[in-house]
Amino acid sequence: MAIELTVNGVRHSVDVAPETPLLWVIRDHLGLTGTKFSCGIAQCGACTLHLEGQPVRSCSVPVSTAAGKAVTTIEGLSRDGTHPVQLAWIELDVPQCGYCQSGMIMRAVALLNEHRNPTDAEIDAGMTNACRCSTYHRVRQAVRLAASKMPAGGRTL
Amino acid sequence: MTSHNDVNTPSRRDLLSGAAAATGALVVGFWMPPRAAAQESNQGFNPEGATWAVDAAVKEVNAWVVVSPDDTVTIRIAQTELGQGVWTSNAMMVAEELQCDWSKVRPQYASANRDAQEMAPEWTLNVPGKGATDPFGGGEPDFGTRARLGTEGIPDTLYRRMRTNAAASVRDGRYYLQLAGAEARERLLLAAARSWGVPVAEVSSANSVITHRPTGRTTTYGQVAALAAQIPHPAPDRIRIKPPSEWTLMGTERRNLDVPHKVTGKAVYGIDVRLPGMKWAAVKTCPVYGGKLKSYDFERVRNRGGVISAVEIPITDPALIRGRMFSEGIAIIADHWYQAKSALDDMPIAWDVPPENAARNTANIRATLIAALDKPGKVRANVGDVDRALAGGARIIEATYSTPYLPRARMEPGNATVLVTDDRVDIWIGDQSPQETRYSASQITGIPEKNVYLHMCHLGGGFGRNGNGPQAEQAIYLANKNRGTPIHLLWTREEDFIGTTYRAMSVARLRAALDADGWPIAIEVRTAMDENAPGAIASFDKASRYYVPNYRFTTHTATFHIPVGTRRGVGQPAHDFYRESFIDELAHAAGKDPYLYRRELIARTDLPYKDDMLKALDTAAQMSGWGRPLPRGTVRTIGLEERGAESGGHATLSAQVNTISISKQGEVRVLRVDIAHEEGFSLVNPLTVRKQIEGMVTWFYNDAMYQECNVADGRIVENNFDRFPLSRLKENPPEINITFFKTEHWLRGMGHDRSTTLQSGIADAVFQITGKRYRDLPLRNHDLTWS
Repeated sequence: MAIELTVNGVRHSVDVAPETPLLWVIRDHLGLTGTKFSCGIAQCGACTLHLEGQPVRSCSVPVSTAAGKAVTTIEGLSRDGTHPVQLAWIELDVPQCGYCQSGMIMRAVALLNEHRNPTDAEIDAGMTNACRCSTYHRVRQAVRLAASKMPAGGRTL
Repeated sequence: MTSHNDVNTPSRRDLLSGAAAATGALVVGFWMPPRAAAQESNQGFNPEGATWAVDAAVKEVNAWVVVSPDDTVTIRIAQTELGQGVWTSNAMMVAEELQCDWSKVRPQYASANRDAQEMAPEWTLNVPGKGATDPFGGGEPDFGTRARLGTEGIPDTLYRRMRTNAAASVRDGRYYLQLAGAEARERLLLAAARSWGVPVAEVSSANSVITHRPTGRTTTYGQVAALAAQIPHPAPDRIRIKPPSEWTLMGTERRNLDVPHKVTGKAVYGIDVRLPGMKWAAVKTCPVYGGKLKSYDFERVRNRGGVISAVEIPITDPALIRGRMFSEGIAIIADHWYQAKSALDDMPIAWDVPPENAARNTANIRATLIAALDKPGKVRANVGDVDRALAGGARIIEATYSTPYLPRARMEPGNATVLVTDDRVDIWIGDQSPQETRYSASQITGIPEKNVYLHMCHLGGGFGRNGNGPQAEQAIYLANKNRGTPIHLLWTREEDFIGTTYRAMSVARLRAALDADGWPIAIEVRTAMDENAPGAIASFDKASRYYVPNYRFTTHTATFHIPVGTRRGVGQPAHDFYRESFIDELAHAAGKDPYLYRRELIARTDLPYKDDMLKALDTAAQMSGWGRPLPRGTVRTIGLEERGAESGGHATLSAQVNTISISKQGEVRVLRVDIAHEEGFSLVNPLTVRKQIEGMVTWFYNDAMYQECNVADGRIVENNFDRFPLSRLKENPPEINITFFKTEHWLRGMGHDRSTTLQSGIADAVFQITGKRYRDLPLRNHDLTWS
């Protein structure tokens, strides 16, 4: 069954079973491998991407739900890796193994879109993705640093 | 020695023609197998973040260093980056001596195939000094067995040590990686001198620029690299490496070179490999280890979209494949992974389960271990007369502790992509022991090992060799049954919990006799765990770390069907929990301060590094404001971490103070940790060490609070992140303070066994605040409330 998706601003038509998780359409059919698979049950957040600007755990979102909607993945966050969150992540050397970091970054962008200068409590509540290397200490600092780099006027994505 | 012929021969032409040229002469691309190359890739695979070995378009200076005309320096890395920073620290060790422009360094994995076929250059083989006293500061790596396969020692093959384990990449690699950089530098200088017709003694280099000092003429590495590649070093055995006092790059904080690709999604992990014509495999193996495939009904799912075939996976002879295929299984191969996975979910499968294995559960395994404590054990240390002292002590303290089975649960589920053709095997994988994998591939396919090529990817975590089989063996087996088609095997999270080995469940009984002043006059330690478990002697071996005149340590074993292996820290995390918890219990029984109690007992020993241990304790205590008042419900706890303190030589020593609050409702909060960590003569990349310590704080918080894998009906119960919870950012200590202090020895390694004492630290905070002493981890199983 053909499903229309707009991913990172590009329209695609994919022929897949409608219950196929969005994650697998993105990774296998569209070849965007930055979004990662880890638990498959929406627990860890490694597969976080944006659907109509909202963070979702794409391993548990059927592609049919995303039909006709705008999807943004880590590949579409910036043209050249210079989104304020990416720059903060580089400056503080956040990633270790890095596997969860695409999802972590997408979650941070969503948080900063909602809270321009998040409090610690808002960071606690927003940054719910799991990282097995436990980069949390630097993630918290990098979210704060990114907030200071965000252009005035809110949303960057 | 610095060139290589007929290695990669089948691939070189394809590789060069198919590759996208990137920076300078460094070829970034991916090799397409001849058969698959005939098909065009239309799957959008972007190889920019690929890491595997490719042949350089210009001649290498030596096996580690390629300098392109634009001065890009490719440094070949023989260990796998899995978050521990080796991609950067190994490059730093080469670049320190090479004296190249650090901003132009591009790491790339070394070729495992080439490593197996070329011997190491002579000048890397001999150690010119003895340990830390070497006047050149060379130090002495642990050469061990020098076997190419296996987990110990430094082989004599080209890249020396290619496995990634035991926190040893920096410790073992430092010597020959510095030599590799120095040899390349000297040949580049020689080439410049020759091209100018001046004595080499008159030229020197910094930041990739070579200067003829008398005239001020300059050139760059890139301009003379081609000539350097043709000039052998006249006396390589006289190459001197810099001692720490001369380091300018090593010892400085360097951001990790893999990070930029990890914030854009471009880094290629094994799971991201896409090849033309590739098919996907999902696998289920019997969840009771040792189980066999009884029946399955492929007809029920055969006609589903994308489904191609079902392939039975036997338990291969363990002697051939490092013993890591634990159960029989069944795979479904399909066009896309989700098709394979959902067909497998819906396919009826029946297992033939060994009844003795199915009868195992947490309670009876634990009871067996407890019983083993009272059977004769292996004596690991026996000083004085423990039995007599126990009979005569003023007070006897006895405590029995336990820790559960624990998986690594790295974030990237096991996967491998394999193409087997009639005479060649290609494997794309993140792998911690590539030579073992090549050997397995050869055994399974019957294709000579020299024709097995590994294309190394970054690993999404390792945590104790999770990046080792049997995902590779399973994928090789499936690809061998489907010769000519690249097969990408990917485990579900649940299958990843089956395919891993576990840190063994263990129990320990510690007994002490205290004198009238509360000091121990005897300590007896008994531990019990699976007889195949590594790390049985950790933290207690040879001599007590805390002074006691009578000391005995015995290890006891039983055998279970759960496969056990090396998880982060191996034996140390559990044993540190036992040892440090017990010292806390003794201090409380003696009515003494746990920091000063430890301090006095370390001071009374004659251990080689006791002064460094005292410094660690004192520094951490001072950082934390030890002794200053805290609100009710908040306490400080302390622990000592050491590896190698009993024997001298390489060692790693640190101490940690935890400030912990517990609400009356039982909510534990680690408010801050203060860590004093030695740096030995010098750390290589202190930023990486900081990051590792920060990560281990949370890792061992998880172990203390949440993590366990129970066994029921012979199978592991907790098999995904719902029942096996991972802590989140909101629980992380808001303050992590780390101080490094100098010591006069080389570090044993770091990245796996620090912050282990947060476990005993939380348990002791629970005791201090609630009055309840819990000796079985994780603590989530206990009532932590108080009033």
